[in-house]
Amino acid sequence: MSSALHTYQREFHDNSTHLPGWNAWQIRRSRQAAMQRVMQTDLPTQKLENWKYTSTRRLSQTPYALYTGGCVGLYLEDLDPFLVDRQASHRLVFINGLLSRRLSCLDDLPNAVQVASMARIADESPAMLSPWLEPVLTGHDQGFAELNQALWLDGAFVHIPAGVQLIKPLQLLFLTTPFQEPIVTFPWNLVIVGKSAQALVIESYLTLGQGAHFSNARTTLVLEPQARLEHLLLLGESELAWHVGSVQATQKEGSRLDSRIFAAGGELTRQELQITLAGAEAECFQEGLFLAGRRQHMDLHSWLHHTCSNTRSRQLFKSVLDGHARGVFNGVIRIPPDLQNIQAEQKTANLLLTDTAEIDAKPQLEIHSDAVQCSHGATVGGMNPEAMFYLQSRGLDVDAARLLLIQGFADELLQTIKPAPVQEWLRQRLNQERNLP
Amino acid sequence: MNILEISNLHVAVMDKPILRGLELELKPGEVHAIMGPNGSGKSTLANLLAGREECQVTAGSVFYQGENLLVMAPEERAGKGLFLGFQNPVELPGISNVRLLKEAFNARQRHRGLPAMDALAFRDHLDQRSKRLGLSGEWLLRPVNVGFSGGEKKRNELLQMMVLEPRLAILDEIDSGLDIDALALVAEGINAMRDAQRSMLLITHYPRLLDLVHPDHVHVLMEGRIILSGGMALAQDLEKQGYGWLEEVAT
Repeated sequence: MSSALHTYQREFHDNSTHLPGWNAWQIRRSRQAAMQRVMQTDLPTQKLENWKYTSTRRLSQTPYALYTGGCVGLYLEDLDPFLVDRQASHRLVFINGLLSRRLSCLDDLPNAVQVASMARIADESPAMLSPWLEPVLTGHDQGFAELNQALWLDGAFVHIPAGVQLIKPLQLLFLTTPFQEPIVTFPWNLVIVGKSAQALVIESYLTLGQGAHFSNARTTLVLEPQARLEHLLLLGESELAWHVGSVQATQKEGSRLDSRIFAAGGELTRQELQITLAGAEAECFQEGLFLAGRRQHMDLHSWLHHTCSNTRSRQLFKSVLDGHARGVFNGVIRIPPDLQNIQAEQKTANLLLTDTAEIDAKPQLEIHSDAVQCSHGATVGGMNPEAMFYLQSRGLDVDAARLLLIQGFADELLQTIKPAPVQEWLRQRLNQERNLP
Repeated sequence: MNILEISNLHVAVMDKPILRGLELELKPGEVHAIMGPNGSGKSTLANLLAGREECQVTAGSVFYQGENLLVMAPEERAGKGLFLGFQNPVELPGISNVRLLKEAFNARQRHRGLPAMDALAFRDHLDQRSKRLGLSGEWLLRPVNVGFSGGEKKRNELLQMMVLEPRLAILDEIDSGLDIDALALVAEGINAMRDAQRSMLLITHYPRLLDLVHPDHVHVLMEGRIILSGGMALAQDLEKQGYGWLEEVAT
């Protein structure tokens, strides 16, 4: 067993009674089962195909400490750069993985919309969680997600009831304030969008200051029939931080998910996206942008399951890699036999700014049905010399031309984001976090 | 002082000689047209003047406003007022027309030691010019050349010229792919830009544009050299007779 897992197991045993929902048998059983599974498989290593390019050695060997203390003395002003326009959004703020009620603001939520601390829901109304305790498992290397399932301490519980439209974006801010001793946070978020309901949820992981820490995050998205959810995930933690996260979404008939992920921070970032289109006319549009420099490592693993006829998906993932950065993209589209009228499109474009940056891009189409319109394309390349010359001939020097092209490459994804304050905020965060030329 | 002075210019592209002893002089305010069959070296001349790296000069010299042009980086040439309207301008996804125009305009301001124009004044400067070319405000927000028709790309090149107000504009087949109406608009734009200081070099296959612009000089480029120069009458001869009759002159 890896030494880190040993520590987590001991924490689990010593402190289990303090874990949210422990008194409710469903939650207790789910935690115990998850711990048992991860004990059997251990944390993933590079021997596993899905982890081939991503070393977990440090995560398996460093015993990060579970943060269970109270909130750190922060003022709302300290959070300003991390928050989407305060007036124009609702927010839940988690400091070191735990909800800070004082920094959160849910003043004008529409009636019946529930946005709360997962820990509180687990203790007070555990039955509300029981249908969603078991994640949609898609493989055997779920080590970190299992660990989260066993050890989650808090997170956001969001329920938008049928027919309700959440007008303002809801921001879930996970802010870590590094300590001398590196800490680990285990947030679990559950977002349920009811029948014909609509919402924009911005989930952001950021660090206050510079320091090492580990975020092991898990988010479950449930889209009821005709629900519409825009889910925006921003990963912009400190350059010493490690982030392993998974988003699991289940979509029922006629629902639409717009999932966007922007990653710029962290020394190592591994994000898994698992989306199941489980009802007719469900559609999913996914976009992702990864900006990595120095020796950053960014790994995106996406699984898209069409389990029902008449479903559509479109994916576009881009990366900009500078310095000695390393990128990994693995995109699985799975279409079982006997399904009709499926549309699936996957594109990935990767811009390498140096000879020492590297990307391993692997589209993986597992299509067992004929009634499918499916396309995929992957490009990897450097700066287009034609475009460089064009911009220079317009008076831009080499650096300015390069910067404009990089921004343009990224902007293709940023410029579609609405509302404008969210787009503007995201742009600022990315400019802040990335270390591109 | 001449705007442009090209003497005995020899240029190779991928070691293949393309221009072979080209001579050309442009005075301030003059509009010259260069005509010639495919493969005669017209675009190589345009690209060389703009500073494309692939064009290797093997002999000869090019002076621009009295300075050696060949030692200048492309952006330096642009900064000193040289503009190339591309035959096939590249697509720039994610970069809007207005963004490019602003960056280019401010680069020019910096080069001249002038402050950047404030956003409102620039918008004004831009609107006047785009209206003249029949380009809408929405157009300015579209990414540069992405999904543009051939004619739209040409109008976009011309818009950039009008915004940047160069000393020397080289327009490489600005007339190809245009219908009659678009051609008239482009010609109007070119004529509006003519003044006693600004020179232009129009590179074209067809005399249609020249009928509308009336250049001061017309040159025929064949086999990498200017083999014949004249006025509008020469352009009209070429329309009637093609280039065949000139082959003897060239050799």
